[in-house]
Amino acid sequence: MKLTIRNKLISGYTCLLILMAAVAGIGVYSLATLKRDAHDATAIGGRLNSIAIEIQVHNLEAQRRVKSYLAEVGKLGPEKARSLYLEEADFEIHEIESLSAKAVLIAPDVEKRAKFAKIVDSLAIYKQALGAAVQAAEGSDTGKQAESIAKYEAAADTLHDDAEDGEVAGRDASEASENDIARTSQRAESISLGISLAGLVLGIGMSIALIRAILRPVDHLKEVAESVSMGNLQIAVKRYSDDEIGDLSDSFARMLTAVKYFRMEAESVQEEALHGQGGAL
Amino acid sequence: MTLYEKAIVLSKPYLGPATESFIDRQCKTRLKIEPPQLMTSQLAELSKWVGVGAGLIMDQTKANELSAKLAALR
Repeated sequence: MKLTIRNKLISGYTCLLILMAAVAGIGVYSLATLKRDAHDATAIGGRLNSIAIEIQVHNLEAQRRVKSYLAEVGKLGPEKARSLYLEEADFEIHEIESLSAKAVLIAPDVEKRAKFAKIVDSLAIYKQALGAAVQAAEGSDTGKQAESIAKYEAAADTLHDDAEDGEVAGRDASEASENDIARTSQRAESISLGISLAGLVLGIGMSIALIRAILRPVDHLKEVAESVSMGNLQIAVKRYSDDEIGDLSDSFARMLTAVKYFRMEAESVQEEALHGQGGAL
Repeated sequence: MTLYEKAIVLSKPYLGPATESFIDRQCKTRLKIEPPQLMTSQLAELSKWVGVGAGLIMDQTKANELSAKLAALR
């Protein structure tokens, strides 16, 4: 393909368009990645935090109801006390169980997963202790009652502590999510800035190359034309490029050759007329 | 097409509007012939004088190029 000005312009601006499309594509991709990462980070951190809070609320509620049950079972009798307090406490315990299992699944790292797994373990111990305390409370052995209630309270304290640890882990996850978002944003900013700058530099480079390719031969022709118009015919016309301007340079060189020839011929004829001798031509 | 006409066509891109006058002048003053009488045997001589004469009014490389083309003309 001949590198005409038309072809140079078409290929130059096609390259620029491709470059701009690439920059835009990478920008859109970066933003989409940022959006997805931010969404994931927020979703996981926020969800874990709210699960941890829910666990703690259910735990407190369960323990409050069990405490009421233990206090009232003597007065109300097992049937009524169970239906008033224990059924609700069972529901709360079941919620803690399913929330803890879910937290273990979505926890973003081993440390946080271990904290929520610990809640699952202490909940199993708590349930066992609760069963024993209920059995003792509904029986008549006061010594056994005191012992099982003490065991239950110890298990409840452990569960409470573990649930608090879980809450801290949830809060950490939420904060880590915010940090992740900030980090991802910063990365996306750097990438976008880098790509834009690279695109700008390449665009400027290509524009300069394109302008030089067109303007350099035009400037030379202008210089030659000015020189000839001032009477200086001893100037060489260079062909800088194999395009329309190159063809124009050839035409100009041919014209200059003819002008030089006619001038020399005129001088030669004049000399022949004067001295009867042939000129250089 | 006569040899002279071929020489004119070949020289046109180099000499433009001065072609006929330049070639005629070489034939008359250097070869001492009327231009239409140009023969193949005289091409080497014409080519030599064209190289010299054209070198005065254009780039010597181009003049040599024209001279070589004329010498190869048949």
